[in-house]
Amino acid sequence: MSGQKNSKARGLAIFFLILPLLLFLVSLSIGSYGISPRGLFKAVLSVVSPASYPDVPAAYRDILLRIRLPRVLLAMAVGAALSVSGASLQALFKNPLVNEYILGISSGAAFGGALSLVFLGRAFPPQVGGFVFAVAAVGAVLLISGKAESHFISLLLTGIIVTAFFSALLSLVEFFASPYVLQALFFWLMGSLSLASWKDLYISLPLIAVGLVILYLLRWRLNVLSMSDEEARSLGVNVRREKIIVIAATTLITAAATAIVGIIGWVGFIVPHLVRMMFGADNRRVVPISAAMGASIMMIADDIIRGVSSFEIPIGIFTSLVGIPIFLVLLKKTRKVWL
Amino acid sequence: MRVKVGNLAFAYPEFSLRVEGLAFESSKITAIVGPNGAGKTTFLKCIGSVLPIPKGSVFVDGRDLAALKSRERARLICYVPQEHDTTFNYAVSDFVLMGRAAYVSPFSLPSREDAGSAAEALDFVGLAQYADRAISELSSGERRLVLIARALAQQSDILLMDEPTTFLDPKHETELFQLIRKLAVEKMKTILVTLHSLEMAVQYSDQMVFMKRGEVVAHGKSAEIFEDSLLEQVYDMKMKVIDWEGRKIVLR
Repeated sequence: MSGQKNSKARGLAIFFLILPLLLFLVSLSIGSYGISPRGLFKAVLSVVSPASYPDVPAAYRDILLRIRLPRVLLAMAVGAALSVSGASLQALFKNPLVNEYILGISSGAAFGGALSLVFLGRAFPPQVGGFVFAVAAVGAVLLISGKAESHFISLLLTGIIVTAFFSALLSLVEFFASPYVLQALFFWLMGSLSLASWKDLYISLPLIAVGLVILYLLRWRLNVLSMSDEEARSLGVNVRREKIIVIAATTLITAAATAIVGIIGWVGFIVPHLVRMMFGADNRRVVPISAAMGASIMMIADDIIRGVSSFEIPIGIFTSLVGIPIFLVLLKKTRKVWL
Repeated sequence: MRVKVGNLAFAYPEFSLRVEGLAFESSKITAIVGPNGAGKTTFLKCIGSVLPIPKGSVFVDGRDLAALKSRERARLICYVPQEHDTTFNYAVSDFVLMGRAAYVSPFSLPSREDAGSAAEALDFVGLAQYADRAISELSSGERRLVLIARALAQQSDILLMDEPTTFLDPKHETELFQLIRKLAVEKMKTILVTLHSLEMAVQYSDQMVFMKRGEVVAHGKSAEIFEDSLLEQVYDMKMKVIDWEGRKIVLR
């Protein structure tokens, strides 16, 4: 019985790990300018060898390379980054309610990114400002709240205060922004993939990849870090050092994502919960499957936004509107402890 | 392994612990007893370096614990908490496997040998059949055994157990102490255990340490120092020890 259950879970895990690859291909063909799978295949080949495929319209290549590919890659990277960040922080702080937003990372990164966009322009990478202020925000939350893992209310309240502080700073930046920049800022803050460009990806993708690799390698260690600090210490963990590594990696990937797509709520919170519901609490499974599921959910959300309506709802709003009810339905349906 | 504690001091805002000098030997069980707030748990945590000790030293076979890296220390000494209160509902086997953390690099996964050690530890405490169960599905007594299994997987020679029998019924309490005795004899562990049950302490321990208000009041061989006058001094109440079929019973 147990073996049957395990093989079913393994099959489901493999499905979720492969799903992003399938969705990646589907997502490239979806949009206001429809490209059939065959057309897509030929367009990809024509990029490699244009002379062999003279009949492929140049527009196909342009749409594919300049618009869809960076956008779909960004959706994948951001979904994976936010989900793994959420899963790691929840384990580290021994609390399933923790996410990058509660710790002030998102608001710090949003302020840093906005500050950079308004005062330094788009030529300067917003990821730098995003990371610096995300570190400042999470650092402030942890310093003020003290032994946060054992006093969640203290952590939560400090997070709310620090988030409010950075939101106020963000409003101040908006106040000084020109009307043209303000409009772009407004859409960016709601969470949008529409501004995806290769320039942003060149910076954010490696940062997200580095952070994800670190957290992936630490995935078993997250199990041990999810014990009380005293237990983890007794088990042989250098708690302080490993906490710093996890917080630095999660801050890096969240800042790298937030700096180019704005604040996308709920993905980092909901995805790890869904994964634990289905696969249990072991972070050896939670981390990689969260990455895959987060990437898939972001691609599906973006496909719906691009494919269903002629205008684009910011993905941050969409993920919150759709994600929360789905989560509540699942929560009611499963009626079991999955943490 | 021999544990030697010297001039240990630790302070909370309204409590301070001071232990001048004690030694604990291999294959022996030492029971640390005393009233609530005596500092038993703090003492245990200081020995295990779970709490940083501002003053004093703990030597294990001549090695200063403070000078060791976390993982080296964990291979020598293991603190078993009173109760495990995890937010995440791990499978029993995954939980016990965490005992191997001191043998696994932070960026690696446990090896097959690590999994084997964890399975062996779970088997030793008699819970092999619960390996795939979620920890929340176990009874309080079974969870205690899982904590001990995790400590066994850690393979450290010194075990510090904080009130392992609290909330256990007499049968499970006895079984657990038989297991602790087995660990001392068969695995040659140096075991320190904090307790409230004086009868169990005197019956199963080789040595006892009596604590009160952060200090050691008395220590020595259990059978020799377990007397009415000492108990009354430590607990501030009338107590009488009687012998019944070779066992000591405390009347109060």
